[in-house]
Amino acid sequence: MGAGGLLSGVSMSDHLLPWPDGTGRIILDEVDSTMAEAQRRAPTLDRPTWIMARRQTAARGRRGRKWSQPKGNFSATFVMKPRGNPAAAALRSFLAANALFETLALQVNRDALATKWPNDVLLNGGKVAGILLESAGAGGRVDWLSIGIGVNLMTVPEDVRDAAFPPVSVRGEGGHPMPRDEFLSAIASSMATEEALFKRFGFGPIRERWLQHAARLGEVITAHTGRDEITGTFESVDEAGQLVLQTPKGRVTVPAADIYF
Amino acid sequence: MANKTHDADVEFIRALAELLRENDLSELQVKRDYADESSLNVRVSRMSSVQAQVSVPVAPAAPAAPAAPAAPAAPAPKAESAPEDPASHPGAVTSPMVGTAYLAPEPGADDFVKVGDKVSEGQTLLIVEAMKTMNQIPAPKGGTVKRILIEDGAPVEFGAPLMIVE
Repeated sequence: MGAGGLLSGVSMSDHLLPWPDGTGRIILDEVDSTMAEAQRRAPTLDRPTWIMARRQTAARGRRGRKWSQPKGNFSATFVMKPRGNPAAAALRSFLAANALFETLALQVNRDALATKWPNDVLLNGGKVAGILLESAGAGGRVDWLSIGIGVNLMTVPEDVRDAAFPPVSVRGEGGHPMPRDEFLSAIASSMATEEALFKRFGFGPIRERWLQHAARLGEVITAHTGRDEITGTFESVDEAGQLVLQTPKGRVTVPAADIYF
Repeated sequence: MANKTHDADVEFIRALAELLRENDLSELQVKRDYADESSLNVRVSRMSSVQAQVSVPVAPAAPAAPAAPAAPAAPAPKAESAPEDPASHPGAVTSPMVGTAYLAPEPGADDFVKVGDKVSEGQTLLIVEAMKTMNQIPAPKGGTVKRILIEDGAPVEFGAPLMIVE
């Protein structure tokens, strides 16, 4: 493999950025939702695959929340068959957040970005993207895992209510949004790197990198679990990915919640 | 060896939990070094609605005595007239991870299943969420939903019984 091969590989391609080895890519003009498409295709997948759609007619967020994808914004789902148990699969929330952080850092000032537990990436304190993971499996195994990622590249959706983290876009914050195809290549490469790190070294370095970028570490934040509201000092993220809060009643670990500050 | 160590660890953690209760402490942390250079790091704590936290870096994923969801660290020494433990029921569907259980795909929607429903193998019964990952829990086999043991939005522990399907 000579340098000439590498160079011509780049120049021959329609895309500027290389595509990671061993990863599939499906690009659709329109689909109901890339998450639904991933679930339909999961049984017959022979390798981890990204599914990107230029338009989604029924995009969704967590717990059935609507996700709007105005023209020019990015939506894709990475679907894979992970080894290990569901708890290990769920750690990919952090891999995805790190990959998204690095991809956004190619387009905006790195210092304007921060992570929010477990997988939000904030731009100037606003919601620039959303990540949703779905998995299925029985007997302690995971049959498939889908990681859906939506990014406001060009446009801020109009019908969003979350006032705590107002929606923002890469362009609106003075960034330089990449074309969607390039964004896909960039995040696919970042995700492949995160996966390789995770396989080789476990969750430790993933968690460390995530914590480097965490908003409000050491400060008081509030976790809404749906039933409870737990306010405490954001101490860390533990080995299982759980949020660790120091509260007046002692240390509390939280596996599922919405975070506010 | 792994099993023997595991059993010993569970005993050890139980003893700590007892100590915690007897002395009305809120938290206890102990590190135990073994001859083979492995170690066990245990933190047991008591809080309202929060359960014992155990981190075992050397031998992970060992569920420390999957007690009933609401019970703290140690299981009751003698279950007097307590109903049979649903976790040991042959038709029990248990939680594969710590998280929040949802009986419906989204707020306001119909539940995936209700008591008395016939379900087929692989049909989604509920969702357990952790780290924003929605883990669909399928029926391990076809049958009838006999009992639903958790409420929508309830926190669940690893190994906690969720439903009985037989």
